[in-house]
Amino acid sequence: MYSGVLSAVPPTAATWNFLFNWYLIFGVSAAVVVIGMLLYVVVRYRAKYGQGPPHDIKPTNWKVVLAIVLIMGVVLAGAGYQTFASFTNIDIPNSPGAVTIKVEGFQWAWNFTYPNGQYSIDNLTVPVNTIVILNLTSKDVYHTFGIAMLDVKEDVIPGKVNQLWFNMTETGVYPDAIRCYQLCGIGHAYMIANLTVVSQSAWNAWIQKG
Amino acid sequence: MGLLYFFTSLYFGVVGAILALLMRVQLSVPNNNFLQAAYYNQAVTMHGLIMIFWFLSPLGIALFNYFVPLQIGAKDLAFPRLNALTFWLFLSGGLMAVLSFFVPGGAAAAGWTSYEPLAGPIYSPGPGPTLTYLGLMLMAASVTVGSVNFIVTILWLRKPGMTLMQMPMFTWFALFTVVAMLFAFPSIIAAFLLVLSDRLVGTVLYAPPSVLSVPGIDPSLLWDDLFWFFGHPEVYIVLLPAFGVIADIVPAFTGRPLAGKNWILLSTAIIVLPISFGVWMHHMFLTGIPTILQEVFDVSTEIVSIPFGIIVIMFILSMVKGRVQFKTPFLFVIGALVLFTIGGIMGVFLSSPVLDRVFNGSYFVVSHFHYVMVGATIFGLFAGIYYWLPRMTGKMYSEKLGKLHFIVSFIGFNILYAPMMLLSDMPRRIFTYQNIGDWAQLNGIASIGAFVFAGAQIIVAYNLLYTWYRGEPAGPNPWGSEDLEWSSPAAGMTPAAPLEPEPVGGWIGQLSSAPVTGSSPASVSPANAGSYAASAKHEVHLSSRPLTVSAGAMLFLTGAALYPGILPLGLMVIGVGITAASLIGWAWDDIRDKFSGPPEVEGGDRWPYNAVSKMKLGMWVFLSSEMVLFGTLLGAYIFIREAALQWPAAGSVHDIPLATANTLVLVTSGFTMVMAIIAIRKGDQRGLLAWLAATFMLGSVFIGVKISEWIGLVSGPTPFVPASANPVTALAASVYYIIVGLHGAHVMAGLIVMAYLMVKTTRGGYTKENHGAIENFALYWAFVEIVWCFVFPLFYLL
Repeated sequence: MYSGVLSAVPPTAATWNFLFNWYLIFGVSAAVVVIGMLLYVVVRYRAKYGQGPPHDIKPTNWKVVLAIVLIMGVVLAGAGYQTFASFTNIDIPNSPGAVTIKVEGFQWAWNFTYPNGQYSIDNLTVPVNTIVILNLTSKDVYHTFGIAMLDVKEDVIPGKVNQLWFNMTETGVYPDAIRCYQLCGIGHAYMIANLTVVSQSAWNAWIQKG
Repeated sequence: MGLLYFFTSLYFGVVGAILALLMRVQLSVPNNNFLQAAYYNQAVTMHGLIMIFWFLSPLGIALFNYFVPLQIGAKDLAFPRLNALTFWLFLSGGLMAVLSFFVPGGAAAAGWTSYEPLAGPIYSPGPGPTLTYLGLMLMAASVTVGSVNFIVTILWLRKPGMTLMQMPMFTWFALFTVVAMLFAFPSIIAAFLLVLSDRLVGTVLYAPPSVLSVPGIDPSLLWDDLFWFFGHPEVYIVLLPAFGVIADIVPAFTGRPLAGKNWILLSTAIIVLPISFGVWMHHMFLTGIPTILQEVFDVSTEIVSIPFGIIVIMFILSMVKGRVQFKTPFLFVIGALVLFTIGGIMGVFLSSPVLDRVFNGSYFVVSHFHYVMVGATIFGLFAGIYYWLPRMTGKMYSEKLGKLHFIVSFIGFNILYAPMMLLSDMPRRIFTYQNIGDWAQLNGIASIGAFVFAGAQIIVAYNLLYTWYRGEPAGPNPWGSEDLEWSSPAAGMTPAAPLEPEPVGGWIGQLSSAPVTGSSPASVSPANAGSYAASAKHEVHLSSRPLTVSAGAMLFLTGAALYPGILPLGLMVIGVGITAASLIGWAWDDIRDKFSGPPEVEGGDRWPYNAVSKMKLGMWVFLSSEMVLFGTLLGAYIFIREAALQWPAAGSVHDIPLATANTLVLVTSGFTMVMAIIAIRKGDQRGLLAWLAATFMLGSVFIGVKISEWIGLVSGPTPFVPASANPVTALAASVYYIIVGLHGAHVMAGLIVMAYLMVKTTRGGYTKENHGAIENFALYWAFVEIVWCFVFPLFYLL
């Protein structure tokens, strides 16, 4: 949804957008049906002068309940199925060409350590069109590492290593693309980092230089 | 009591709202400097805690207090003095939370979710958070006592002939709410007990790896599990009272009975138990839990929406072919259902672990839970307030103002929270932001909405005052409802009825739902009415003890939070003194039979059966909550043990032979307790005293050995200091300290009660026919022993 700045949509964002639109269509439809029904009923059966008391009603048929359960069940099963199919966004791909970068969150900045042992603070540099795997951990408190543009996010927990992956499709510098999404103290709002995407040749040259 | 609750929760609601407005001012434009980060974080944290624990829940409980007894034809709650205790504990806790703003360092600032280790002593030092969390513990204690009281009231005090299925829907939802409370709150008590132990005593239960490098331990996940196991049911605890209100109002304003009443009840029952306790990990999708768990909790979360869907559709179907009257309460019902539908559907989005990779921690979540907790809950409770205002005051509110209030609230609400749906890339709880994308516009709109929504509440405040002073007489049953609370005269109909709490003898004492007392023995069948002698009855159990017990606890805990220093120490001493004196006084009142009112009225409709006495039912309900508490704590212990890659070998920390002997002592005390019951069942008072004394002695030996073990641990070279040679031992000692300590506290409490029982026995207080207290205590004592039977092998042998 928010990856509009990129002309070529990265795979994680594409998967997310597809899934979101799926939920959006059914969610909006459900809201329109339920709220529409409610408003229709209250307007249609509003009290008018000179009316007698309402007729007695038959007890609610179990078939109505069954219908609700079935309709909701089918829609939710569809939603669940689509979500399961989109777990590719979460599962770490087993790709030989992947680049793995260590990320350590601390109050209140991000430290990125690259395969060549170099590190950078508050700027993550990655090669374009390459699967990048981040190993996330925290030095102090609970943080959450998110790149809204790519629709990826994972908690950064002390004593634990979590992983996420993405694949950027365009080179460039994306300021403030990386943010912390978990209250982590007074610097929470400033726990921001840039994402820099370089060409594969530039990356390789830099990595080999060490 | 209901009115006290009502006004107190409104007070806390105003505090929470002011905090919210401060935040909205700060966020109205980018790079604002109105509220510094430290203050913003306190505001965001305390807004959440105060709104949830001291406004939303208590507002529902206020209505329970007032209308559940009326709806079931009971003269009061089952335990009126415990009800007073519930209120004063709730108020004391709230005052402590508010007070924490004014201590050095300020209030808690780690979010209402209090994620560890941020909320721990290292990253949130200072007395403020401790004070807040201790206040929360008082609140949780209040909830536990209150839940027991309501469950016993609803199961035991219904008027003759009213079966469970004939209860009004609001009472049903009250029952669902308190059952959920009973099982959910032990988990947060356990979670905060561990935090407070870290903060006050210096244990290392949630210590981060940088401090306590035990391989495998990540304290954050333990907190997440404990907190959200409570946290998700809490959402329903907040919501269900509003649904109860809606279920009562829909028939009254459509002239038709509720469609599918039994389906609504069944759906709600399924939501409360088990579903609400089986979805908590959807708050933890990003924590690195295995994919399979994410899938399981995705599905379980989706399943929640089905019973809720049934409930909403049934409400709508109830209106079909009715005579819908657009009075203010019904407008708020429509508003609540619309907003709940929107919020609920947003919840389905959040159930997807993949979509959650964007929404988690963003304003989308903020929007979602405000749609549910403010939209559905507050609009539903407003409906209830307007609906029952004629019953509470005997007067009618201004319909014009009511409608205006609804319209402005509904529009303001949506201007406030709808833009947040689109802010799914903006992190929540940031105190400022740069001017990027559409953030400035959306936040600006939301801030305008906040002031519109807040302004709407001035209308209702005015309307309440207007009703109180100028309202037209409402008549006995203005809505034509068939529920029982309308069949008794409204309070205002009898001008002498005291609506406001009246100080009695200089103390604001026990004030049970005043209008019940004042107006008449509400809706009891005439045959029974005579035996109630309502006004006389209330003087009988009027007591200042619940107030002083709570005040003493508050002073003590405030002192504990501010410790060290002379003043805090003084506060602690005074607090302990007041509480102890009040408890002794309370026991002494009882020994002198001060409260022996008229005998219980027989013939009420009871469940499970008449054979179980009121006290015993209460004890069982209480113990079931205790079971969850110890279960949660032992679960936490196993969690830590399993995660840690090393653990001290059995016998290396504790003395196994000594502990085994001590276990035998405790088991023997169970046997002597049984002998005490057998003695009094025969009417043998001397035998009772002897066996009680034996039990007391054995219990004392047990606790004596425990204390010596404890002191041995604490006074060791460096008990909890992680820098010591073996951090694993420090962690093991910490877990031992808290759980065995809590069990020890239970044994101590048992000893104190035993002392009281012995004193009362010497005065001939128990007879062959009347010895319920002994039997109830035996249940408690058996529970304490059973807990030990789990603790002993887990901590000593394995």
